[in-house]
Amino acid sequence: MGSTGGQKLSGLQKHVLNLYRGFLRAARTKPPEGRRQVELIVSEEFRRNSKQIDRKNFVYIEYLLRRGKKQLDQIKNSDIVSLSSMKVGGAENKDT
Amino acid sequence: MASLTSSSVSFKCAVLPSSFNSKNHGLKSSVSFWRANQVKPRGLSISCAAKPETLEKVSSIVREQLAMTKDATVTGETKFSEIGADSLDTVEIVMKLEEEFGVTVEEENAQTITTIQEAADMIEKLQNK
Repeated sequence: MGSTGGQKLSGLQKHVLNLYRGFLRAARTKPPEGRRQVELIVSEEFRRNSKQIDRKNFVYIEYLLRRGKKQLDQIKNSDIVSLSSMKVGGAENKDT
Repeated sequence: MASLTSSSVSFKCAVLPSSFNSKNHGLKSSVSFWRANQVKPRGLSISCAAKPETLEKVSSIVREQLAMTKDATVTGETKFSEIGADSLDTVEIVMKLEEEFGVTVEEENAQTITTIQEAADMIEKLQNK
């Protein structure tokens, strides 16, 4: 998803980038330590998915977008101050 | 409107010989005159090139964000894609710029920026608002 150098972005790519922007904006509202943590995990997730997922796998990308939007809504909650992730047998689990 | 017609009339008189042509011509010139008047103030407030300081700050932020080496050259014409920035990097750069300059970049604008000069111009435009 993140491979375009020119500015011919597809609609789906724009959605993904907007979601990424949303996460980075939400991260700003957290205390410095939590903010770094959120930025680290979120950028890692986006970059990993951008490399692993075939750009034509629309169904999966759309699923991830929906999931991402829900997670973003959770992170926006002001009670949440940080984010941590752990690997369980290759599968990644996100918790607050 | 009154001044417009009078000017076109006087023009018509000046080039009398081919009356049909000059009528057209007079009309055309009056239209362009009208337009020039409208555009001028807008052009003055928007399309001024960014200050060198802004350009300098933008390039240093871009360097930092992409972890570039000191000897890599970054100028106003440098495209983000040329220095290895993908679309995710571009989002990060724009977010960083927003913070450093205290502006908010609209989504549509954020995705049309391709060079450092364009980024600097846009920031100055937003700062002047």
